[in-house]
Amino acid sequence: MTIADATTRAALPRARLRQALAVGSVYVFVVVLLVLGRLISDGFWSAENLLMVVKDVSILGTVAVGCAFITMSGHYVDLSIPAIMACSGIVAVYALGAGLAAALAAGLATGAALGLVNGLMVGYLRLNPILWTLAAMAVFDGVTRWAYGGKWVYVDETTGPGSAFAGLYRGNWLGFVPVSVVLFAAMAAAGHVLMRHTGFGRRVRMTGAAYEVARLSGIRVRRTVMTAFLLSGVASALGGIIKTSLNMYGDVEIGLTYDFQAITAVVIGGVTLAGGRGTMAGVIGGVLVIGLLGRILPLVPGVGQDEQFIIRGLVFIAAVGINMAALRRSGRSDV
Amino acid sequence: MTDIGTALELAAVSKRYPGTLAVDGVDLAIRAGEVHALVGENGAGKSTLMKVIAGSFDDYTGEVHLSGKSVRLDSPSAARAAGIAMIYQELSLSPPVSVAENILAGRLPARRGMVNRRAARAEARRCLAMVGLDDLDPATPAEDLSQHEAQLVEIAKALGAGPCILVMDEPTSTLSRGEVARLFEIIRRLRRRGIAVIYISHHLAEVFEVADRVTVLRDGRKVATCDIADVTQGRLVEMMVGGAVSDLYAERARRPGRVRLEVRGLGRWGFFHDATFQVREGEILGIGGLSGAGRSELARSLCGIDPRDAGRVLLDGRDVTPASAADAIRAGLVYLTEDRKTEGLALRLSAAENLLAAIIPRQCRFGLVRSGPGRGLVRGLMDRLQIQPREPRREAAMFSGGNQQKLLLGKWLAADPQVLVLDEPTRGVDVGAKVVIHRAIAEAADRGACVLLVSSDLPELVGLSDRILVMRAGHLIGEMAGPTCTEQAVLLAANGEGALVPP
Repeated sequence: MTIADATTRAALPRARLRQALAVGSVYVFVVVLLVLGRLISDGFWSAENLLMVVKDVSILGTVAVGCAFITMSGHYVDLSIPAIMACSGIVAVYALGAGLAAALAAGLATGAALGLVNGLMVGYLRLNPILWTLAAMAVFDGVTRWAYGGKWVYVDETTGPGSAFAGLYRGNWLGFVPVSVVLFAAMAAAGHVLMRHTGFGRRVRMTGAAYEVARLSGIRVRRTVMTAFLLSGVASALGGIIKTSLNMYGDVEIGLTYDFQAITAVVIGGVTLAGGRGTMAGVIGGVLVIGLLGRILPLVPGVGQDEQFIIRGLVFIAAVGINMAALRRSGRSDV
Repeated sequence: MTDIGTALELAAVSKRYPGTLAVDGVDLAIRAGEVHALVGENGAGKSTLMKVIAGSFDDYTGEVHLSGKSVRLDSPSAARAAGIAMIYQELSLSPPVSVAENILAGRLPARRGMVNRRAARAEARRCLAMVGLDDLDPATPAEDLSQHEAQLVEIAKALGAGPCILVMDEPTSTLSRGEVARLFEIIRRLRRRGIAVIYISHHLAEVFEVADRVTVLRDGRKVATCDIADVTQGRLVEMMVGGAVSDLYAERARRPGRVRLEVRGLGRWGFFHDATFQVREGEILGIGGLSGAGRSELARSLCGIDPRDAGRVLLDGRDVTPASAADAIRAGLVYLTEDRKTEGLALRLSAAENLLAAIIPRQCRFGLVRSGPGRGLVRGLMDRLQIQPREPRREAAMFSGGNQQKLLLGKWLAADPQVLVLDEPTRGVDVGAKVVIHRAIAEAADRGACVLLVSSDLPELVGLSDRILVMRAGHLIGEMAGPTCTEQAVLLAANGEGALVPP
């Protein structure tokens, strides 16, 4: 008994350390990129620049926090994120006439509704998440185009609500922290608490790690999956609204590539595509990596817009590959 | 025929997993033409050692010699090329594909890039003949095979590559007695042809029946290799557990009390019909029968996991007929699955998360998980069930089979069940873990829970149950208790013979 106690005491910090390292691996990458940025440009470590890095990815981060719940539940990603962002943004602009609060509420409600549709289809009817959300992307996008004729819907900045709406992206909190960064930080904190400290978070992890096990453990798996899609819909809507504030017009194409970028951030952050493994802190790290890459790559001579796309794709492939190889190495199979 | 040459020799082979040394400096010599049994408790390192031989790891240490030559078994193809074939517990046949294509997977005879069907059929027939399946049509899809035939086809597939060493991991766990006898006949035939067979099993009786020599592993180390004629079953068990084993089935502290669980006319069309029975407070009710008799199906419908067509379930006089697993758990009915890996544990999550998986709502206040009580509960369960290593944060996958089974039981004990339905609670588990699990089941009953025990392990069923219902072809055909309740009587009844008291 005493021997067992001793090994337990010795092994516990080791397990804790291993877990910290698993989350930390993406932050190692963050630090490497920070050092790299400093080597390339002297001003890289200035507060303004670092805030800019976070501001760059504040929209992506907002979307990725929602997406993480879908990935964690073992349902990969919502490919209709771009359509949800666009549609929510446009609806928000239309609702601006009734004030900023109404615009936000209408935009978020749109995202919630579209997320709910995805959730019902994938969660309750058990449709393949990739195929369904791919189809949903086409339908949501098509309906939005049909309703607005593909026109840009401008925000009228002369009105009170209009200028307040503009402040969502451009405004600063306490004079120097961009509002979009504050919103992202709030989403990240909420996402962390939700994933780590609530029953819902536990259910999502269990569902993603082993669907049948979760069902037999009395978890209402269908409802859990549906809620994950619903949350992602709301997060996408918030991202779409902030993006619309950045552009100052609603448009069907504002969300393009956010689906792929979000899943990239989630996977770089250490969430297994198979689900059930990973943390929200890791996802935030993944978002920061994308932000840093976006600021550093243009500083590298010879790297233009096209090359950046290629590098982003390669980073995604490398992240999936490294994650999988590490798991196989330790005798786990997540495929 | 009586070749004494050494087919395979391992020298100081070790394999380390993160945190544990699963195989620790094992020396082992396998002779050509012998059946060499490998025994040990779960977690003793048998499976890991066999995986080394099958080429699953490229980071083991030590030397491997095949027929005197040193080889490095760092990939499955290297092992195959060296003449080693492995038959795993889980079958590896592809269900919709024909038997012939399954057997010849990876080596289909081809002519100008097209499969030569006639040659394929002939070759498949040759392989099937080696395992006595002469009259099986090679065109049959693998999904149409019985469990027993599938097992034999698996062996035929392994033999097709012409191995000199055949590793069998628990090949009889799903077979009936007659099928086991046939399998042993085939093993003896292979032995006569000079093939070395490494035979892993928990069933010591089988080891004595078929093996020539036996090697005992404990905690990753080799304890001894002996001729089977020189040891007794008792001695083997002592070597496996490292000490003498006391009586497995102790008398229970209390007698069954008032009726708590009443099942009335429960049925699921095509699976089981009109199941009516009662279970008393603190009673362990065994359900015996052959596999396929509908025992698991009854257990699953009772706990809301599978649908039901008829019947009601009453607990303490209250109707608690569940519509889902969640309903059942809330009412206090829990089901421990026979399929630990896909339905029992989330192998990717920690021991603690698994132990608390069934009681997420009870840990929450206003949606937030309070971690304190959960942590204490986990520690208590790990102590009570002697789960080793005692690391709550360790992934479930990194525990040995016996400890995983304890985790699964712990998960349901955590839910503080009123009715504990157990489906094969000790399948594939070593003696030590079995004792712990049996004690925990008896304790749960002594605290007043109703226990329903479905088990194909007859000594366990008879030793643990207060009363046994026998099920046959979807019907409860009778009940036995007291001195008339013996292994033989249960087996006879399950096969539709013998005298039975009508329930």
